[in-house]
Amino acid sequence: MIKHRVLFVALVLASVSVAPALRAQGSRVLNIADARARAAVEREIAQAEARGLPVRPLIAKAQEGVTKRATGERIRVAVASQARRLEQARDLLAPSPSEAELVSGADALAVGVPAPMLRKVRAAYPAGHSVAMPLDVLTELVARGVPANHALEQITQLMTRGATPTQIASLGASVQADVAAGLTPDAALEVRARGVMSLLPSPAAAAALAPRGSRP
Amino acid sequence: MNPTRVFALGLLLLCAPRAGEAQRVSELRVEAGTASVSQRGFDAERAALLAVLWRRPSESWTFLTSGNLTYAADSLAAAQGVAVVDLPWNVSERLRTEIGVAGASFSLRSAGRGGNGNFFARQHFVGPTRGSFVGVASGRTTRDGIGSDSWSVDAGLWKRFDMLYLSAALTHFSSSDWPLLFASGVFSSTDADRFALLDKMLTAQVRNGPHDFTLNFIARDGLGETDARNRTMTASGTLQLTERVALLASGGRQLADPLRGLPQADLITLSARVSFGPKPLPVMQRSVIAEAGVLAFAGGGGELVVRVLAVESMLVEVAGDFSDWEPLPMEREGSFWVARARLRPGKHRVAVRVNLGEWRAPRNLARVRDDYGGEAGLVVVP
Repeated sequence: MIKHRVLFVALVLASVSVAPALRAQGSRVLNIADARARAAVEREIAQAEARGLPVRPLIAKAQEGVTKRATGERIRVAVASQARRLEQARDLLAPSPSEAELVSGADALAVGVPAPMLRKVRAAYPAGHSVAMPLDVLTELVARGVPANHALEQITQLMTRGATPTQIASLGASVQADVAAGLTPDAALEVRARGVMSLLPSPAAAAALAPRGSRP
Repeated sequence: MNPTRVFALGLLLLCAPRAGEAQRVSELRVEAGTASVSQRGFDAERAALLAVLWRRPSESWTFLTSGNLTYAADSLAAAQGVAVVDLPWNVSERLRTEIGVAGASFSLRSAGRGGNGNFFARQHFVGPTRGSFVGVASGRTTRDGIGSDSWSVDAGLWKRFDMLYLSAALTHFSSSDWPLLFASGVFSSTDADRFALLDKMLTAQVRNGPHDFTLNFIARDGLGETDARNRTMTASGTLQLTERVALLASGGRQLADPLRGLPQADLITLSARVSFGPKPLPVMQRSVIAEAGVLAFAGGGGELVVRVLAVESMLVEVAGDFSDWEPLPMEREGSFWVARARLRPGKHRVAVRVNLGEWRAPRNLARVRDDYGGEAGLVVVP
């Protein structure tokens, strides 16, 4: 009972605080013509904030809906879906994911990356090192049609071999160029991942060189 | 010739033009229904229909294949297949080529065994509101061991007025399939072994979203020593009931088609279509090509460059998370519309629109659904 009251109070406080925040940002969420729908969207955002989720990606989702002339109800549903994905990503990327990691995780889930794969990506870098970029590249590869298992395998292999986020991001860009040149995404990933891998130390050397728990 | 075969192949022809539709994700359609088919000398007959159509599009080509199975009381099954590749030209967004092959095999109690194989190629010139085409086709049909061959050339043009499409086409046939043409009232004044025909076709189609209604008028006349005069009208329509389910109906007289071995028949069909696979993504109209790339900076981040080739466009805009989804007008540079934006390292979503139309992903980026029934392109900046 007390827990419910605390949650209720938190929701009320959050809904009071979100609207001014939206106005302060000049948010186009306030451009939703239907007042009831606008209030519903603000309520979704407030509830998410009360659950400790970042508000910015939700506002961005709503703004996208305004630009795309979606109905107020559709925007509310989209914001609620994004909030659910953020929450799921928070659990999967525990213990303390950053906002960027949460957004990357939520977007990975949105394109169909299976939830357990987020845990595997998280586990491939030590705590404290952002997995946002590896997740972004994984998302892009899966969206291109690379089987999720294959993409995950290549990316986590690079991560455990000490590839930097920049190297992993370059992998995604190279795959894009190869696909434009006519290669299948799957084959392009195979070739490019080997290229990056050849620049990295062997697994044994990587383990020996990197101090415990301090891989890049 | 058994009428069921007529319908099966007729349905095939209904399916084939869909190869030219806009690019979408891979799609499977199943159509099932019933038909009433009548020919000269045959009573009207009911047939059960099943058609399966699979389409695999990409940004650079569309592959379509379909199969049909028909069963009527006095016949065995007839099966047909068609494969079409639809290729846009890289040098110009206005050029597109269709190449297709089709084959039919039948074993009918009433009409014996036989088959048909045909090939066609068609070059399209496509503009935003009008277009034209020229094509050639060739086919060979064997019935009970007797073979015949046919070829055709055709040309046509179309114009769009908002929801109304009007088209006109001329087709010249030359065929040695005399049993087929003779049965449809085509004669030769001499003992020539080939028939020459000219079809003049007018088509009017109204499209409203996924629904359409089409009226088709064909006037067929003989050329030279061929004596023929046929006038026919057909109507067909699609009513999309839900995102995946549609009702299709058609009726009218189908003229004999020597290329595909189709005899003349009066048809009335009614069928239901169910689409499987991912929900189709909306795509850029064919006359618009948008591409995006990132020029990476040494210290991280980069410059996004979006280029859109959109002829006869008044306004081209780009939006994405980098602009808080605020539409930014693009600037004309030569024949392209161009926008540039500095991006931080990480993943960004991008979309463009032309003349306040739908927001679409640049074609070279990974495409993702956007929670609003549309799409966006993904770009990852090192």
